[in-house]
Amino acid sequence: MARFDIDRFGAGVFRPSPRQADLMIVSGTVTKKMAPVLVTLYEQMPSPKWVIAMGNCAISGGPFVFEGQYNLIEGVDKLVPVDVYVPGCPPRPEGLLEGFLKLEEKITGKRRFPGPVQRW
Amino acid sequence: MVNKTEEELKAAFSELTVVKEDYNQKGYHLSCDVAPKDIAAVAGFFDERRFYLAVELCVDYRDYLEIVYIFSLHMSLCKVKITVKIDPVKPVLPTISGIFASAYWYEREIREFYGVLFEGHPNLTYLFLHDGIDFYPLRKDRIPVTDNDKRELSSFSPEQSEDSLCINMGPQHPSTHGVLRVVLRMNGEYIEEAFPVLGYLHRMHEKMAENRTYPQFLPNTGRLDYIGAMSFNLGYVTALERLAGITVPERANYVRVIATELNRISSHIFWLGAYLADLGALSPFLYVFDDREQILDVLEGITGSRLTYCYFRFGGLYNDIDDAFIAGTKAVISRIRSRFPLYEKLVTGNVIFVNRTRGIGVIEKERARKNAVSGPVLRAAGIPTDMRKLEPYACYSEMNFEIPSGQRADALDIYNIRLREVETSLQIIEQALAKIPEGPFMTPKVPKKLKPRKGDIYHTVETPRGELGIYIVSDETDRPYRLKLRVPSFSNLMVFPELAKGNLIADAVAILGSLDLVIPEIDR
Amino acid sequence: MGGLVKLLDTEMVRLAVGLVLALGFVVFNALILTWMERKVAGHMQLRIGPKEVGPFGLIQPLADATKLLGKEILIPKAVDKTLYYLAPILIFIPVIVAFVVIPFDSYLLVKDINVGIVVILAFSSFTVLSILLGGWGSNNKYALIGAIRSVAQNVAYEIPLLLALLSIVMMSGSLSLKTIVEAQKGLWYVFVQPVAFIIYFIASIAETNRTPFDLPEAESELVAGYHTEYSGMMFALFFLAEYTNMFIVSSIAVTFFLGGYNGPFFPGFIWFLAKVYFLVFVIMWFRWTYPRVRFDQLLNISWKALIPLAFLNLLVTGGLLKL
Repeated sequence: MARFDIDRFGAGVFRPSPRQADLMIVSGTVTKKMAPVLVTLYEQMPSPKWVIAMGNCAISGGPFVFEGQYNLIEGVDKLVPVDVYVPGCPPRPEGLLEGFLKLEEKITGKRRFPGPVQRW
Repeated sequence: MVNKTEEELKAAFSELTVVKEDYNQKGYHLSCDVAPKDIAAVAGFFDERRFYLAVELCVDYRDYLEIVYIFSLHMSLCKVKITVKIDPVKPVLPTISGIFASAYWYEREIREFYGVLFEGHPNLTYLFLHDGIDFYPLRKDRIPVTDNDKRELSSFSPEQSEDSLCINMGPQHPSTHGVLRVVLRMNGEYIEEAFPVLGYLHRMHEKMAENRTYPQFLPNTGRLDYIGAMSFNLGYVTALERLAGITVPERANYVRVIATELNRISSHIFWLGAYLADLGALSPFLYVFDDREQILDVLEGITGSRLTYCYFRFGGLYNDIDDAFIAGTKAVISRIRSRFPLYEKLVTGNVIFVNRTRGIGVIEKERARKNAVSGPVLRAAGIPTDMRKLEPYACYSEMNFEIPSGQRADALDIYNIRLREVETSLQIIEQALAKIPEGPFMTPKVPKKLKPRKGDIYHTVETPRGELGIYIVSDETDRPYRLKLRVPSFSNLMVFPELAKGNLIADAVAILGSLDLVIPEIDR
Repeated sequence: MGGLVKLLDTEMVRLAVGLVLALGFVVFNALILTWMERKVAGHMQLRIGPKEVGPFGLIQPLADATKLLGKEILIPKAVDKTLYYLAPILIFIPVIVAFVVIPFDSYLLVKDINVGIVVILAFSSFTVLSILLGGWGSNNKYALIGAIRSVAQNVAYEIPLLLALLSIVMMSGSLSLKTIVEAQKGLWYVFVQPVAFIIYFIASIAETNRTPFDLPEAESELVAGYHTEYSGMMFALFFLAEYTNMFIVSSIAVTFFLGGYNGPFFPGFIWFLAKVYFLVFVIMWFRWTYPRVRFDQLLNISWKALIPLAFLNLLVTGGLLKL
């Protein structure tokens, strides 16, 4: 049995074209060569549209940032607005699911399930 | 074979000094420094003797640039390192891409990373980089790319011709599994020519290695090939242990083999699902994920991560295995075995699948050698070469296993080889589990600051996708002077333009899928 | 009151009411089918499919439809605006017309035209026209290839489809759908004409562009095929048409081969819908089981296997009827 079925929340339909997409998950490192493509893809999506930066690479460049690096965009939010950041290298599936729920919370204003207890 | 090659090489080129090297320390048997004008003749010599060009790379020694060619044989162990020293200010060298097809891309790579001009190379344009980068990244000094060079490097544009239809497959195409871009020049639905464009995920691993200490680079290996991370981890660790002369306890070796083979199985079945999704059947993907999830659970128990493992350490492991791991591994073995009939029935027996894959993307032996194809693709072509057998690392020499091989190397053959390799891996795990000794899992005295001896090493391991070669040049500091990764997907992708020519676009997808490409590994 | 009944019984009103009902049904049917598809896919893929929105996820398609309505209508710069707008609207004509003649029950029928099947088949050619317009008007290479594939595929598969139906027409001696259903009171034609049924079913899957024949929108090759450039509600119209077409080809199969609304105990339309949705389920089952065929194989199946077989079947049928 599949464990992490995002189709439960209705997020499972796969559409290959950006024109039919609502959400862009940037799931990896964004390089300078990829940047224009990524921006085009974002602009091809019809609004309302959202972006999830998945993983440390997409959030900030992650482990690949070092002095003298020449090919990295240090964070996808320098290119397109990001709604939800899912940290991890790579994030666990539960992390991505939580990211979806966070996005839902952002859109609807209320949370589907009682979230993790805030301890701090 | 080594002696024979040495003699023949001496006979053919009397002016050369052929040095016999210590294989256990260096990873190659012979080395030889060649003058730039002779390199084509020397390459021809190895071509006649059915060597393949495993890797071509460049090292910047500041006073001179050294181009290193590693020639290797498929069926017996004989590796030769040929070096050419060239002037760093005006680096020019004759190409050997006419002799070895695999040099075609390696030379383009060296051109953009070092600025070496290969005379006679048909297409020295950007492969990984782009015109936004205005220096040669892997040079030790900052050498700017001149405007003239930049213009030459970015002069390639397949869309130029008027009356042909050019399709950009990728970098965001659903079936390239990542950010590979292939420009297809089409005639109707038939492909006239295919031009892969790489580098959309070029994360500068090789540059990073020069900026990191040896242990600091360890996590990077897991991020190169995120599906078969264990093999890359193992390759890097064993290469360094060989270079620095660290011994590994017996128990650690066995655990390494078990973990790597488990990872190999998960990689192969993951490919199976992804490949069928390429062919239009989406459901198998979820079935193999179910199986893969079991393997990930077992590995997560000992490594702490699901995907980008960093489990091996120089001289041993991160932590010891427990009974839960052994029980889990046994459960995985019986589970995967029980799933074989299902895959046989639903996939191998499916008429549409067989018709889609039979006879497309045929790789002849000669073509496989010229392009330095490796891994399951090479074995499907009828050359049963496996680094686990040919130059055993860890404790593969104590395992008893068969290497499957095919005949035609069409997509169907490659599929069959991969399924049979899962079975091979299961056998290896069973043997290792039966023989695993007690004892320490880590060598006690591994220095925190690793400073290996001066020199270089070319070390190979077998990843799920083929031969991974790691070339390290050490200058006795705690960071590598140069680290080059010969990655299997990169050389496997090199045959794709030849295979795609004259095929339908649907076939191109099927061929691309059968090569099992992992993009971060190609782009590095 | 009597006047109202009389008014309602006139042809025009009946047609108008029928069309409105058909339109309503099209939307309702698409909602049901998308839910069904996702549930079927889920269970075939070891998952459960939508479950959070509404009971058993039943409200999910409604939520999706609302979302699609709210999406920006995005018109790419390079498109041919007339064709781009026309295509999704045009794809709806055959869909609506088909509902006029399909007998849901002996009385639930908008209009019993004596050449019913001809009407459906004639109008169904509009589908391929609108796909071609959409693909061409989008000014996108993937869309264009998808459209070209669609035309070749539809031309190839319309012939065996017609021939298969023709053998039933010969047996029943009528082109009216109702008459054909009535003729199956005793024995369903599927038992008399199994070959024709198989040919029809394969051809109809190809006509509706479903896996294993979904080449015009093969996502692993052509991204999204002919509707790559369509977004929001315009894409939803294509989507709606695809699901309605599934319903229509299944209902023709039921009408011609599976006894239409005939069946014991329950009212006719329940039988009809049950049979139709069963066939739709089979089509979905195919989709989540099979890989996709290649383009040349697709055409070979039609020209080299289905068409000769259909002709042979027709010949045998004719010969036996003559005897």
